[in-house]
Amino acid sequence: MVTGLEVKSLSVLSGRGEPLLDRVSFNLAQGERIGLIGASGSGKSLTAGALCGLLRPPLSARAMALRFYGNDMQALTPRAWRALRGTTIFQIFQSPGTALNPARKVGAQLVEAAVTARGCPVRDVADALKRVALDPEVARKFPYQISGGMKQRVLIAMALLLRPRLLIADEPTTGLDVLTEHEVLETLATMLDATGAALLFISHDLRAVRRVATRTLVMEAGQIVEDTAISALSTSRHSGARALANAVETLEGRC
Amino acid sequence: MTDVPMSLSKTYRRRLPRGFAGRGGLWLGLALLGGFVVLGFAGSFVSLPPPEKIDLLTRLAPPSAVHPLGTDHLGRDVLARLIGAVPVSLGAAIATMAAILAIALPWGLTAALAGGKVDALLMRLADIVMAFPTLVLALAVIGFLGASLEASIIGVAAAWWPSNARLLRALVLSARQRDFVRAAGLAGASPARVIWRHVLPQVLPPLAVIVSLEMASVLLVLSSLSFLGIGAQAPTPEWGAMLNEARPFFARAPHMLLVPGLAVTLAVLAFNLIGEGLRDMLDQREPYKW
Amino acid sequence: MTRFLFWRLITAIPTLFGMSLLAFFIVSLTPGDPVMQELRAMGSAFSPEDVAAMRAEFGLDKPLPVRYVLWLGDAVRGEFGTSIASGRSVIDEISIYLPATLTLAASALVGAVAISLTLGIAAVSAPRGVAALLRTFTVVLVSIPSFWMALLLIWVFVMQLGWARLVGNGSLGDLVLPTVTLSLAAGASLGRVVHERIRAEMCEDHVRLAIAKGQSPASILIRHIAPRIIGPLATAWANTLGALLGGAVIVETIFGWPGLGQLILQAIAQRDYPIIQAYLVFMGLGYFATSLLADVIVIISDPQLRRGLAYD
Repeated sequence: MVTGLEVKSLSVLSGRGEPLLDRVSFNLAQGERIGLIGASGSGKSLTAGALCGLLRPPLSARAMALRFYGNDMQALTPRAWRALRGTTIFQIFQSPGTALNPARKVGAQLVEAAVTARGCPVRDVADALKRVALDPEVARKFPYQISGGMKQRVLIAMALLLRPRLLIADEPTTGLDVLTEHEVLETLATMLDATGAALLFISHDLRAVRRVATRTLVMEAGQIVEDTAISALSTSRHSGARALANAVETLEGRC
Repeated sequence: MTDVPMSLSKTYRRRLPRGFAGRGGLWLGLALLGGFVVLGFAGSFVSLPPPEKIDLLTRLAPPSAVHPLGTDHLGRDVLARLIGAVPVSLGAAIATMAAILAIALPWGLTAALAGGKVDALLMRLADIVMAFPTLVLALAVIGFLGASLEASIIGVAAAWWPSNARLLRALVLSARQRDFVRAAGLAGASPARVIWRHVLPQVLPPLAVIVSLEMASVLLVLSSLSFLGIGAQAPTPEWGAMLNEARPFFARAPHMLLVPGLAVTLAVLAFNLIGEGLRDMLDQREPYKW
Repeated sequence: MTRFLFWRLITAIPTLFGMSLLAFFIVSLTPGDPVMQELRAMGSAFSPEDVAAMRAEFGLDKPLPVRYVLWLGDAVRGEFGTSIASGRSVIDEISIYLPATLTLAASALVGAVAISLTLGIAAVSAPRGVAALLRTFTVVLVSIPSFWMALLLIWVFVMQLGWARLVGNGSLGDLVLPTVTLSLAAGASLGRVVHERIRAEMCEDHVRLAIAKGQSPASILIRHIAPRIIGPLATAWANTLGALLGGAVIVETIFGWPGLGQLILQAIAQRDYPIIQAYLVFMGLGYFATSLLADVIVIISDPQLRRGLAYD
């Protein structure tokens, strides 16, 4: 199996030097889809930010090794980071409501992605919208004119256009109703199948993670406490990870 | 309207001060202001000639031991005039700001709290005044009252208050829309209590920023008016007026140009630094790095 | 858009009406009786009959509302009476000096916008140390009074270097120093607005997505930030023009630029009410038109507002 992303002892420090993320290590194989699960504030989004070079200034990341297909990401200049972002590693964020620029049409923002990926803008955008089950008419709308689920699918369409080798999805279904969540996850799977991209799926909801991934990392207070197949989560040595698995079972048993 | 998702704002709360114009600037501004206050009182401790004392024998003298900052075209001691101008210049700015707030505070609060027709009427009236450029309206008012320091205070305050009333209204409105303020209202707290305990504490910090930045602008405008000869009248020492008097002579006596100009600039800078420093402390958001 | 303009002008009628009331009553509420002042200024003895005759001549014997209507009727036709000081028609006086002031304000606005964009954009994109230095430079520049800046410029460029002259005739070369003076101060304070607006946008999620897409800073600035801040900036530009029209008074006086500044200062000194009143009306109308233009830009740049208007 080809190792895509190699994270070894990644820490994120606050402006005062306190570790907010503490020596996190994991590997991600080519095309592999894994989950990253944990409570709010456990450091999931920080991990995502560090992997995209998108931490806000007083925060800083350092790691013993941070490699993508063997390339050292820590040695990258800002220009090299720009070349890497989007077409190699792309991230879609929670709160799709604010992720798109409210002053520009959806189509224009998708065309930008197509241009970055050096595709044929018009045809690719229409094609991408079709793949995520959106009306091509959506391209002519402004973000405020479409629903939250549609916006999230627009972001997935953007990922389709960029064809990254790794997609980081940070809570992409938070705040969506169950039906919409189902649709978005389906679309995400379609996009991954079409591009062969690897996926790091960040969520606090194990049920959503189980839909798209087979393996998951469990995060607690800035550390990774478990790295296992989801089916083995209920027999984990870590009590928090077991509790997660049991909670889902209890919930589903009741329904 | 929340700008940042909760988890983000929590994660990124810690930040560094942003250089000189940031928190360091706040302290520098306070120090400068403190310096002016000390300077204002220095007159009573240091023996200097009275600021109005004319001595035609030592006209336009450069700085010396007797006159540390030299003398002006009438032989008056520049340092004494500089010190004598502190209460005049700063006092006029404070009086103007107080007058502005005395109108703007009740106006903006009433508009925001009453809402509906009262709000519309009050804001329409403010719009009418705001439809004129501030300095133009101030000039007109002074023109009708006759040139004096009092007239320039009235003129500036009369032209200035509507923008502040508008800002205050916006502050109160946005504070009232916050979830926890609504929750307090829903939980049965009386309207007065909601305003006093929940709305006011949110309005005061941004108001402090506005007041110090506006003080800087007011100080600039008032000294400009004195410079034009339609503010403080001779022989009252005032920085702008001192510069006006220096105009025909500054080729021969550059100290007459440098001293009062520097005084105005530093005083304005003090308020600007305090305002920006306070704003940096309040604005916890850090931009993304591209 | 024509619909919006029509609607905006209709709602502006009360404001314009209020402006005219304000301009008129500022005179009427002025302490002191202009007739008595005028008669005293003439020096010779005068009888109560003289006073009554002069009141009738100026229309001051009529009740206030009637006088307002008469004044408004005249003002709409561009008739603002005669200057007390020069005895010439006010509209003639104003139209002699107005073009110079407008030229100065316009060129200073262009300079200020250029300076503000440079300062504001540099402050967000330069390395941390340089950015802090630029902010410091900006805050100092904002704090320098324009009259002092003008005098310093004169000292350096006229007296020491001899590159410019002080008493000009309103030619293009004489425009340089007044423009520099005005646009430095206005550009610095506009630069603060530009910096704040860009900074605020750079905290937003949509900019983070643009960065994640791999877009360059220039592309993010032009494609994502510019459309979001153009509306607020247009409003700031309109306000700046208002400040420049007022600030021109100071700078014109110092540099001897033949604009309205000299006229209005003289009028204030001599209490030449008709001139002051006409000045107020003209500047108010000019500023009003500029604000209208800014509102149009705000509407155009915000799709939600634009759509809301289409449904009106």
